Formats: sequence, C-alpha cells, structure tokens
Amino acid sequence: MSEKEEPRIGVFICHCGTNIAGVVDVKQVVDFTSKQPNVVFATDYTYMCSDPGQALIKDSIKEHKLNRVVVAACSPRMHEPTFRKTCQEAGLNPYLFEMANIREQCCWVHMGEPEKATEKAKALVKAALAKASLLEPLTPMEFNVERSALIIGGGIAGIQAALDLANAGFHVYLVEKEPSIGGHMAQLDKTFPTLDCSACILTPKMVDVGRHPNITLLTYCEAQEVEGFIGNFKVKILRKARYVDEKACTGCGVCAQKCPVKVPSEFDLGLGMRKAIYIPFPQSVPITHTIDKENCLYFTRGVCKVCEKFCPAKAIRFDQQDETIELKVGIIINATGYDLFNAKKLPQYGYGKYKNVITGLEFERLVNASGPTGGKIVRPSDGKTPKSVAFIQCIGSRDEHHGVPYCSRICCMASLKHAHQVKEKIPGAEVCVFYIDLRCFGKGYEEFLVRVQDEGIRLVRGKVSEIYENPETGNLRLRLEDTLLGEVMETEFELVVLAVALVPRAEAPALQTLLKVSRGADGFFLEAHPKLRPVETHIPGIFICGCAQGPKDIPDTVAQASAAAAQAAIPLSQGKVTAEPLTAYVLEDYCSGCGVCEAICPYKAIELKEVEEGKRRAEVNEALCQGCGLCGAACPSKAIVLRGFTEPQLMSQIEALSSV
Amino acid sequence: MKTLYACIQCGTCSGSCPAGRYTNLRTRLIVRNIQLGLRENVLGSDDLWACTTCYTCQERCPRNIMITDIVRVARNIAFEEGHAKKPHLYVAHMFINTGHSIKFADEHRKLRESVNVSSVPPTVLSYPEAMEEISKLTELSGFKKKVLEREG
Ligand SMILES: Cc1cc2nc3c(=O)[nH]c(=O)nc-3n(C[C@H](O)[C@H](O)[C@H](O)COP(=O)(O)OP(=O)(O)OC[C@H]3O[C@@H](n4cnc5c(N)ncnc54)[C@H](O)[C@@H]3O)c2cc1C
Ligand code: SF4
Ligand code: SF4
Repeated sequence: MSEKEEPRIGVFICHCGTNIAGVVDVKQVVDFTSKQPNVVFATDYTYMCSDPGQALIKDSIKEHKLNRVVVAACSPRMHEPTFRKTCQEAGLNPYLFEMANIREQCCWVHMGEPEKATEKAKALVKAALAKASLLEPLTPMEFNVERSALIIGGGIAGIQAALDLANAGFHVYLVEKEPSIGGHMAQLDKTFPTLDCSACILTPKMVDVGRHPNITLLTYCEAQEVEGFIGNFKVKILRKARYVDEKACTGCGVCAQKCPVKVPSEFDLGLGMRKAIYIPFPQSVPITHTIDKENCLYFTRGVCKVCEKFCPAKAIRFDQQDETIELKVGIIINATGYDLFNAKKLPQYGYGKYKNVITGLEFERLVNASGPTGGKIVRPSDGKTPKSVAFIQCIGSRDEHHGVPYCSRICCMASLKHAHQVKEKIPGAEVCVFYIDLRCFGKGYEEFLVRVQDEGIRLVRGKVSEIYENPETGNLRLRLEDTLLGEVMETEFELVVLAVALVPRAEAPALQTLLKVSRGADGFFLEAHPKLRPVETHIPGIFICGCAQGPKDIPDTVAQASAAAAQAAIPLSQGKVTAEPLTAYVLEDYCSGCGVCEAICPYKAIELKEVEEGKRRAEVNEALCQGCGLCGAACPSKAIVLRGFTEPQLMSQIEALSSV
Repeated sequence: MKTLYACIQCGTCSGSCPAGRYTNLRTRLIVRNIQLGLRENVLGSDDLWACTTCYTCQERCPRNIMITDIVRVARNIAFEEGHAKKPHLYVAHMFINTGHSIKFADEHRKLRESVNVSSVPPTVLSYPEAMEEISKLTELSGFKKKVLEREG
C-alpha cells in the first residue's frame, strides 16, 4: 500500500461463543463501528478464529479492497499471530492488522454490567481503529543460525538433551561445574518405582556423552558471559584449573591412593572421605582426577607433590592456570537442576544437632554399595544397624511459613523407596513413614505404594511436630498427632530420615542475570507458557529442562530434556530464524547521545557508537531488541521509535479512548 | 497469613501443643470444626479453654494460619454466647473483688519466706490503695459488666 492511499478498514467482531456475546451487545458494536471514519466494512461472527471466521476475513479483504483489518475479540496473546497470518494469506501485510481485546479486558471483568461493557467495547474498537489508520507495513527479519548448542548442567537432564541433539547431528558443548557429569542421579542408589540401580541406567549415558564425536564435554567449567541472540550467542566459559592434564590422565587412581590429605567428600555429603586429588565417584566421566587446591599440601604449604612423583602417566600439572574458552552457539539449554532445602531452618527436627537425623539424599549414600559404608544402613552416631527407622515427609515442602509453598513431588515416592530398602536390608526392622498426603501420581507409583504397604511398612498420617534425642542411646523421640486417630503420641526410633524439599539452585539468581531469563515466584526458572511452551523461555533460543524448571522425578526430567532438545533442534535444523519487526530504531538527528537508553535496556540491545569525533549516537541491535519499549519511554529527546507502537499511533489510540 | 480454610490437617499444631499432652485439646480439630461450620463443637467444648496461648502451633503451622489468635477469637465468641466456664468466672470475680486472681493463702506466704522474698507480694496486698485503680480499670474496660452479666 502506498502511503497516500486512504485507509480502508474492515472490522470483525467476535462473539467467542457466549464469552463476549453473552455480555456485550455485539450488534450495537457493529452498528457503531460501521459509522466510524475509514471503516468500509464491519461485521460479527461466532468464532472469528475458526476456519470460516478466517475465510470471512480473507474474502472481505478481497471484496472490499481492505488495506487494514481490525479484529475485536480476545487477547492478542492468543490470536494475534492467527489473524496476522490470515491477512498475509489474503495478500495484506500482516502488520496492517490491529486487535481490540474485548474479552479479557472487557467482558470477563464486567460480566455484571452488560450496558457499560458494550460502551467500553465500542471505545476499545474505536481506539484500535485510530491506531489501525496509522499502521505501516513491516517485514520480519531473518538471521542465520550457528548450528551448535550450549547445555549448562550435566545432570540427567543435560545428559539426555546433549545426547539427543548430538545424535541429531548438531555439535553440543556440555558445561558442568563439578569435576564429573551425573548430577544428583549419580548420588542415588535405586530409582523408584522400578528399583533399577541408578548407576546402572545412568552410567551408559554418561559414557556415551564422554565419547560422542558431536559432544565437547567441559567439566569443572562455568559459563561466565553470554552475549548475542538466538542463532548467534557468544559465550565465555571459565575452565577452572584441575592441575591434571585431561588428555594424559588415564584415571588409574594411583595419585589418590598416595595422596596423604583426607577431606570430607562432597559427593558423599560429608558421610565419607576423599583425597585432595580425587574423582567424585568411581564411574565419574571424565575419569580425569582433580586437585582440590584448597586442601592440597603443595598449594597450602608448598610441600608434598607425592601425586606427581607416583603418577605413571606424568599427568600432574601444578602450573596449570584457569582458562577462558570462547564459543559461538545457536541455542542454549539451561539444565542446572536443584539444591536441597536446609533442614537446619526447622530446628524442631534437630538436623545438624542430632547425629541420627539425616536427609533422604544422605540415606541414598548410606544405602549405596559404592557409598561410605559399602551399602550398609548404619547410624552415624555409633555405626550400629538401626532396628527402627522413621521417615518424615514435607520437611520444607508445602511450608509457606518456614520453607517453600510448593510440593516437591518426588519425596513421597523417594521415602517409600527408602522404606522398602530398609525392610530389604534390615529384616524385622520397624519402618514408619509419617506423611500429610501420599502423592503417588506417576505411572506405576500407586502400585509401588501398595507393594510397600504389603511389606509391612507403617504409614501414619500426621506431620511430626518435634524430635528429641535421648543422649544416652542416641535414639530419637518423635512427638506427633496421628490425625486419623486424633491421638497425640510420642514414639521412639533409632534413625530418622527427613524428606527435605527440592529448592532452586543457590546460583540461580546469578544464572538468571547471565541468561536474562525469568524465574517464577518459587525461584525456579520460568517456562514461556506453563502448558503450551513448557521448555522454551521468554528469550528466543534459550530453553530449560529438568529440575531447573521445577521439582520433578527422573521420568519427567528425561521427557522434558528430550522435549527441549526437540524444540532446540527447530532453529538449529532450519539454519535460519525470523524475528518480529516490532523493534526500536533511533532517529539519529534527535539523539543527543545521553546514554539513558543504553543503561535501561534489559536485553543489552542498545549501544552508543561514536559517529564522529566526540559525537555519540545510540544504535539498536534489532536482533537483540525484544520490543519492550523501555528505551522509547525513557529517551528525553524522543529519539527512539518503537515500530508498531509509535508515538502518533499510541496517542491517537488514547485520544480515541478518551473521546467516547 | 492465610485464613483457616487453607489448613491441610497435618497435625503439626496438635503434636506441638503442650496443653494437648495432658488434655483432650486437639488444636487441629478446632480448625477443622470451624472450617465445617460446626459452631457448637468449638464454642461448647471444654477443650477450647485448655490452650495456654503459648503460640507454638502458630509458630510452626506450615500454612501460616494464626491458630492461637483464632483460639482467642473463638473464646471471645464463646464467652459472649454464654459458654463461660465456672472456674474462669470464679477467677474473674476474685480479680474484680480483690485485685488478685487467686486467694493468697498461708502456704504461699510460707513458700515465699522459704526462698527469702518478702512474705507478701508487692501487689494490692502490699499496696491496698491500688485496689481503687483496679476497680476503675475493670469498670472502664467493661470487664466487670461482662463478668457480672454472665452470672445472672
Ligand atoms: C533423596 C532423593 C531421591 C530421589 N530418588 C529418585 C528416584 O528414585 N526416582 C526418580 O525418578 N527421581 C528421584 N529423585 C529425583 C532426581 O534426583 C531428579 O529428578 C534428577 O536428578 C533431576 O535431574 P537434573 O539434571 O534436572 O538436575 P541435577 O541432578 O541437579 O543436575 C544438575 C547438574 O547441573 C550442574 N550445574 C548446576 N549449576 C550449574 C552451573 N551454573 N554451571 C554448570 N553446571 C551447573 C550440577 O552440578 C549438576 O550436575 C530423587 C531425589 C532425591 C533428593
Ligand atoms: S600434592 Fe596435593 S594432591 Fe598431590 S598428593 Fe600431595 S596433597 Fe595430594
Ligand atoms: S498446623 Fe496448621 S495446617 Fe497443620 S493442622 Fe494445624 S492449623 Fe492445619
């Protein structure tokens, strides 16, 4: 359409079944609309978004030579893309379309006042018409996509996503901050509900990652800087010195045998020891050993070097330095997982004070054959086999007072699994699970509950209120109400296991700043839509999966990881992405170079450039710009224009609204 | 803070309750009965008066329900609706008439002397002129009127 051409607007008013038509008098709105300037056609229909509804728009564009279209219906978040395509199919530039929201912003909030709602609907349509007259055609931008991926976090989520993308033919950089991949799953013994050994199902995948030609494994590494946009991310990775040459080290373990320094093992949650040169667990990938600088005698006191002397592969490198690696990738997947709730925040349970009160993850290490006790369930206080074990649910979960408001989803099943393991390993032991609700929602989960019940495990409905230790025996007295009996009781156990909540990573805020993604009220990373876009974030090209997005079990984590890989593969395999043209641009003559916009842009899309000696002007990187409009509002010189939301467009809309 | 309709009946409150260890008070059931609108179960029950208002339940409730405060409100309603217990009224009377909620007896005197504090506490018993102030306060606050009404 040439600029001089008079606007010919077609208006389509949707009933949305009775959502709109049940409140607003649609015929009145059509009548009103037909009398507005530039409107050449106005009509209504039950469902504008349906095929016949869209056909009506297309036919009308042709029949009435429409050069602008306004649909008055639901929120543009729902159907703006639908109607833009409809316009395009009829040969009209899709950005010559405007939507008036008369459902969420009118009918749904004014259900009891149909007359006033009808007046408001007219006002909203009038405002949309005012803007529509001033719309200009726009063209989406296209960018090339770097065909490689960065995955942050090497738990089961990151491992699965990496393997899927690598098998699809894309190069993957898998970054893990610990010396080995595996995450929490590597710490588990058996996995509910099938009780397969966690290592047996995890290690083949870890090994695959380690030798996949399309995967560059970057362990003991952290992402430090992320710049750019979908298809073109530039990332700086910090590779921490492990003082061992990854290529030379054969993982023989002689160094660790000879190293004289013992420190509590992080992997065993302090229940066992490791050396100053170590691998976290026997199946670590890579098998490369790492020197813990904080505890190594050479680094702390300048003596020792025993490992260097004995290493048959000559792999020790005391002069190794931290390195920065620069990568270009097309997409990023955040698979950074979870942390556990600190049970010391609930002092009434005595965690950290009474030795025989432990967490579920500590129990996993105790019961695991490669754990500190060789798989024997013993009491930390005296190494004895407990004859009675209590499991207490919802420690921190569902506790908006001192913990987190949400349900951690895995703990009921994890404690039932643990209860079964006690019965299996300690015949005759008394095992009791204290719960508020048993949530066994997954496939095969209720069946697992029945199985465990049959094994003679006692289930008591009631949250334990407090625990006291008998200092002589180390036994624990639990005080609670059995809510089904209405009886308050005190009962004694030799070991207590707390099912603590899954919480966001402590580093989540830093990662949020790095990736510029959002987190929800619960602190976990936020998906773009809770139902329809569960693995995308609101930043194009950045995806999430696993417990980074919220607490979940391994089946859900793996499913979500494969989903993230599939979504990420779309831009990677297309090799191109298109971006909305609703971006900002600078009127260079107005710009004074003050820099307000550069400071305010949350996407770092604006940069001040020196155009001549001493003269700076703002420049928008359209690929980075998300069209939020902050810069336009902040610019004191009115030098920034947001396409699709220009000042004349918005002012005309406001004027129209206030003139009804 | 949540309204008591958010209660999940976990029993943390009852299990924490020091009074519930020696009485039939089940804090959780007070909340449950109120949720279900079973007024008489709450207002007519002796258990309502067993709470020592120590606030342990309120401090621990995972749903952040103001349980102890709710007990206090329920007691006020119970009192207004004629559910005042005899021993409470007796204590109230003692206070209105003597400025002390219990009768000061010889055994108290002996106990005090045995630990070397003044044989009579520094209350109205030592300062009889304070009784006038107490009368004024019980009157002004409406406490006296409410207690006397219950008697009739
Ligand atoms: C006691 C217990 C028992 C359980 N038992 C079962 C079970 O039997 N069955 C079951 O299905 N589920 C079970 N689960 C749940 C299971 O642990 C999770 O579903 C699974 O581990 C989630 O995997 P993930 O990869 O999302 O997260 P994680 O396992 O937490 O992995 C995240 C990885 O990312 C790394 N990382 C984090 N931040 C960064 C960063 N900034 N840079 C680089 N790397 C980073 C971490 O080091 C880690 O390796 C259990 C959980 C607990 C607590
Ligand atoms: S130099 Fe450090 S890591 Fe090596 S053996 Fe000695 S203490 Fe252990
Ligand atoms: S502790 Fe709170 S949530 Fe639990 S039963 Fe008592 S009032 Fe209800």
